[in-house]
Amino acid sequence: MSAAAIHSDDQLHGDHGHHKETFISKYIFSMDHKMISKQFLVTGIIMGVIGMLMSLIFRLQLAYPETSFPIFETILGEWGKGGKIDPNFYLALITIHGTIMVFFVLTAGLSGTFSNLLIPLQLGARDMASPFLNMLSYWFFFTSSVVMLSSLFVQGGPASAGWTIYPPLSALPKAIPGSGTGMTLWLVSMILFIVSSLLGSINYVATVINMRTKGMKMTRMPLTIWAFLFTAILGILSFPVLFGGSLLLVFDRSFGTSFYLNEIPADLAGGIERVGGSPILFQHLFWFLGHPEVYIILLPALGITSEVIATNARKPIFGYRAMIGSIMAIALLSFIVWGHHMFITGMNPFLGSVFMLGTLIIAVPSAVKTFNYLGTLWKGNLRLNPQMMFAIGLVSFFISGGLTGIFLGNAALDINLHDTYFVVAHFHLVMGSAAIFGMICGIYHWYPKMFGRMMNESLGHIHFWLTIVSAYCVFFPMHFMGLAGVPRRYYAFTAYDQFNVFVDMNKFITYAAFVGGIAQLIFLFNFFFSMFKGKKAVQNPWESNTMEWTTPVKHLHGNWPGEIPHVYRWPYDYSVPGHDKDFIPQTTPDYGQTDPLSEPKVVPAEDRMKLPTLEKEEAVLFSLAKRWLGFA
Amino acid sequence: MKHLKIKASFVLMIAMILFSSLSLFAQDMTTDVAEAAKSTASNINWLIAGIAILLVFIIGMIFEILTKVGDVQNKQVINWGKINRYLALVFLVVGMSAFAWEMVVHGKLTFFTLPAASAHANEYDNMFMITLWLTGIVFVITHILLFWYTYKYKEDKKRKALFYPDNHKLELLWTIIPAAVLTILVVRGLIVWNDMTTSKDKDAMNIEVFGYQFAWNARYSGADNKLGKYDFRQMGIVNALGVDSTREFAGDDVITTELHVPVNKAIYLHFRSKDVIHSAYLPHFRVQMNVVPGLPTKFDFTPILTTNEMRVKLENPNFDYILLCNKICGSAHYRMKMKVIVDTQAEFDKWIKEQPALTAKGTETNSAHSFISKENPLASN
Repeated sequence: MSAAAIHSDDQLHGDHGHHKETFISKYIFSMDHKMISKQFLVTGIIMGVIGMLMSLIFRLQLAYPETSFPIFETILGEWGKGGKIDPNFYLALITIHGTIMVFFVLTAGLSGTFSNLLIPLQLGARDMASPFLNMLSYWFFFTSSVVMLSSLFVQGGPASAGWTIYPPLSALPKAIPGSGTGMTLWLVSMILFIVSSLLGSINYVATVINMRTKGMKMTRMPLTIWAFLFTAILGILSFPVLFGGSLLLVFDRSFGTSFYLNEIPADLAGGIERVGGSPILFQHLFWFLGHPEVYIILLPALGITSEVIATNARKPIFGYRAMIGSIMAIALLSFIVWGHHMFITGMNPFLGSVFMLGTLIIAVPSAVKTFNYLGTLWKGNLRLNPQMMFAIGLVSFFISGGLTGIFLGNAALDINLHDTYFVVAHFHLVMGSAAIFGMICGIYHWYPKMFGRMMNESLGHIHFWLTIVSAYCVFFPMHFMGLAGVPRRYYAFTAYDQFNVFVDMNKFITYAAFVGGIAQLIFLFNFFFSMFKGKKAVQNPWESNTMEWTTPVKHLHGNWPGEIPHVYRWPYDYSVPGHDKDFIPQTTPDYGQTDPLSEPKVVPAEDRMKLPTLEKEEAVLFSLAKRWLGFA
Repeated sequence: MKHLKIKASFVLMIAMILFSSLSLFAQDMTTDVAEAAKSTASNINWLIAGIAILLVFIIGMIFEILTKVGDVQNKQVINWGKINRYLALVFLVVGMSAFAWEMVVHGKLTFFTLPAASAHANEYDNMFMITLWLTGIVFVITHILLFWYTYKYKEDKKRKALFYPDNHKLELLWTIIPAAVLTILVVRGLIVWNDMTTSKDKDAMNIEVFGYQFAWNARYSGADNKLGKYDFRQMGIVNALGVDSTREFAGDDVITTELHVPVNKAIYLHFRSKDVIHSAYLPHFRVQMNVVPGLPTKFDFTPILTTNEMRVKLENPNFDYILLCNKICGSAHYRMKMKVIVDTQAEFDKWIKEQPALTAKGTETNSAHSFISKENPLASN
């Protein structure tokens, strides 16, 4: 196919006849961004199911450390001898659970799916800047997933040094069996993953910068696109550092170098004495990716919910520019705070102070985002459909998990909280649950765009309530274990009298985790069933303003039949005063507006800025607060 | 077709119930009596799980049928907006009550109420409490707003949302207020961090904590309060720690498997690892430091409550301080711990003099030495 045909706006598309597609070119080695996004999504969901099953296995171990489950021997063989999980395999499970969830589900599954789907559709492009790179990106991701899963079947088991694979544990096969072939496969998989991520990110940035339709100024881009753009930039700048870091680890493991090893006797390190390196160097390299990675996960979720909340509140997102500003601020700050993962590695306390300062500053743009979400909900007209509920759930998790970040970002407090269950609770809420909620929210919202059918709403609501309740039941109590000093990554707590008080809590958490697992079955059923049997979707089911809903329900190669529509306004003209409908699509010109680049004049400036009067109960609350604070 | 689908689902349900109860019997018949009790218990668990799944599907199906009925009669039978609206309120109220309950009940299990066992722990706990109050208030207010708005502004076809895209004053307000609050936290945090990481007492007792897969050793510097040099090539050859007793300062060093420290005296811990990264975590003292092979790390603290005092305070005669490993280090990571005992000065002196030093001469020097180090000229340089 000719690139010129794809990129030319004037070319009538669809009736060329050069799209004779075979099964392979349509479903497997597809270069169409919509198909690639579905491939990312389905692979991501499958990886997510595997990751979740792993967590259920180790949750059982944590709740019943003394009980034997014969089923483990059946499915795990040697790893579950006598129905008890092997301690080494427990470590492998948490390692692979973390790796899969962080990289394969929440990075590739989230960003890969929605960046691919929405960047061309919401910007008015025929496809990505390079469809071929896009296809390569998916297949590198797929290969990397296969390599990662294959490590479950090798001698010694998969990597078990924790998802952060700190050397020397990950460098010395003698220290833990998982650091043999399993670790090699982990590194190979990760290197393939980084290649995939870079191919994708470069493509996203190129498309956003170059391929917007006429009138789609940067300041008219939906917040989803802003989030994807900065996610991609973060990825491009930080993933190569992990690539370098992993490569040096490969050298240490396979070629006898000592980049990360110091004072390791020869008998531990494969017969070669290792002197002169620094294990902390790896941590610096790892977290230089690792921290931006948190935002690579979270920003797309925040972008998606911004869009969903505005659409379903029937109200413009509050503080569009402040939202963009906070995305930029978070992205920028995320590069100078990686050291807060390393406060107690023995680095200079002064350096700790610097990292602490940067870390706590991130709370400011995050707070702005939260308040803007609340401002958007205020006096809205909320359609409480599943995607809206998941978006509200994300805001809730973002608050709960974000606030505990203020504890952990404080170097002094981190001394006693580092690597305890408090950390587990914190990141599972703020980046696990919040990002997953963002992803599911996006799936419910754009399902009609992806598959041309609607998901079942009732099942969606049941899924939501079960998931948010179980997620809070799982992760909230963990804070208290952490505060009592219970370390993470422990196979059992039976050796510690003082942790025995948490036996019941551990059981409760496991029950809640199983409820959460069952809730995901509902989602999976809904997802795959609706693909074939769901209600047929209409073109714009959510009455949304953005451009993807101007494309026909049936997917076209090139997205729009005929000319790509022009854009005349920003994406959040919901409930504009003096307009009969409560939404005005971006492609609708204002009366007399011929040039897409000029600004529409629907809302008088004074109307935009007028502060609405408070309602009765709010006024009462305000006056009460005033009195309490001594102002009246 | 629609009816068929519903019927098929019911058949599926019944089949599942039959299957689960049949498997129950099948298990019972094949196992002997003693095991039967066990397997029935586990089968009951499976049954409960099965029923839970079924329940969820039944509820889903009821909703589905009601929706279909509504479609036929052309009116909304189930208004999910309305249900969600009330559920949001319920979630808010129940959630906040659960939060309060957790704080009170589970809070008791944490260091909110545990006595602080080291000199800096009070300062640490204050910092923690300030952060907890500030974030707690934000948590409660934002959640009330979030779910209250969800309840209050549920869609009403007669109403239109307020077109209110921005307000610079508000944005400024909620940028400046968090920034100001965080400034307080940052400044205070930096003060606490500096206090905790700067060693204050030059006379502190030097003790090396040595971690290896999967246990700990402590090495006391002896009468000279100086640790003898080690050689990592000698680890496991001259002794586990690789300290050659003939080297300077090494003769009077004492290696133990328990960490005894005297109360009210500055302790300077030097950490060293043999193989992989460990982390020495002493939760009661609010002390933690990674133990990195080939990279010396240290932490100084002053215990203020002896083990016996702590036992009285906690009303637990079996209580012991611990040092546990808090960095993933291998299969027995979860069992890698060392008992920590805080003695009175007299108890400590007695104990350390009973421990053999690396050389017989060292043992002698130690037993002649007074470990009340302020008067000790050797320790002050």
